[in-house]
Amino acid sequence: MKPLKLLGMFIIPMGLIIAAVPQNKTNPYKLTAEELLAEANTRNQFVTADVVADMIIKKDPALRLIDVRSQEEFEKFSLPGAINIPAANLLSAEYTDILNQDIKMNVLYSNGTLASNEAWMITRQLGYENNYVLEGGLNYWFDAILNPQKPASTNPDEEFAKYDFRKSAGQALGGGGLAAQPAPDNAAPSARPAVKPAAKKKKAAGGC
Amino acid sequence: MGPLAPNELISENTNFLFAFLIGIAFGFVLESSGFSSSRKLAGIFYGYDAVVLKVFFTGAITCMLGLLFMGLFGWIDLDMIYINPTYLTSAIVGGVVMGAGFIMGGFCPGTSFCGAAIGKIDAMVFIGGLFLGVYGFAFTYGWWEKLYLAKYLGEPKISQSLGLSDGFFGLILILIALAMFMVAEWAEKKFAREAY
Repeated sequence: MKPLKLLGMFIIPMGLIIAAVPQNKTNPYKLTAEELLAEANTRNQFVTADVVADMIIKKDPALRLIDVRSQEEFEKFSLPGAINIPAANLLSAEYTDILNQDIKMNVLYSNGTLASNEAWMITRQLGYENNYVLEGGLNYWFDAILNPQKPASTNPDEEFAKYDFRKSAGQALGGGGLAAQPAPDNAAPSARPAVKPAAKKKKAAGGC
Repeated sequence: MGPLAPNELISENTNFLFAFLIGIAFGFVLESSGFSSSRKLAGIFYGYDAVVLKVFFTGAITCMLGLLFMGLFGWIDLDMIYINPTYLTSAIVGGVVMGAGFIMGGFCPGTSFCGAAIGKIDAMVFIGGLFLGVYGFAFTYGWWEKLYLAKYLGEPKISQSLGLSDGFFGLILILIALAMFMVAEWAEKKFAREAY
């Protein structure tokens, strides 16, 4: 019984202290123009096409693709599972719940990156998190994923790993024959950005 | 300033070095608390030995208090700590499978390696089963995928879903843990076994 009392004598006061202190809530809800500019310049909002392709193939439930082009363009072609929020209707109340949430990772895309990055900046200005931009947009997607170029034989192995991944991903996503394999670790440039904090988190395995 | 790895204050290789050292310390504590005995581990299910509950809950509470205080002092950014995303269905199914394996085998993955390290044959057999399970799951992933990815909830915290502050929930958890320790010590006396 004695060690238990000793433990209680130590951790109950600690618990009381931590329960009594106010939580640190100094994070600004809205960004000033300077902060937004600084954040845009870090380019952390961009997710590469490889990461997105990998998530689509793995059916990662965290991913939500948002097409910010017009409805006609969306109907002609869209990425698998994407929803359409035309940039002009971005502020409409029906989309607030989609853009302002902390469960999914929203990836905005347009043909290039101009429209999607504009949409991202507006969501950031509203204080929303977990919105990202597909780097290079659909144009780059077509070049890199659906129609990858074989690297020259002098390229490092990583380039070939990336090419192999893109080729199989393109076949899976473009309706080709072969089954896609998940990206080898060195092909997907970095882990997908974690939901909520924009900073990168590394996966850890643990337990007893 | 912290955490170290996501802020890139230390390189990935240094991170592995830390993981190696922490892993050795973890194994040492497991072994010295008697976790390499499957009878001791199974004791938690029959009530005669609650050391598993005590060690892991003490560890969890110590870690929680440490993180909350370090967050309070600004030494670590709690928003950057990696939280395993919650897939509700697979968490429940996995918990049941893990619990059943735990009680049948008398080990959990970490302690089976501890047991194997001191030459226990049952622990080595357990590790064999562990790899069978891992490969079995990997090769039949297509069958499980729907179940595995179902009910994705993001990275919720219990304190958030209850609308409490992290600190207040921490206090509640401490009180729950102490109450559980008291029940466990009562059970250890009630279901005591001579030698195991």
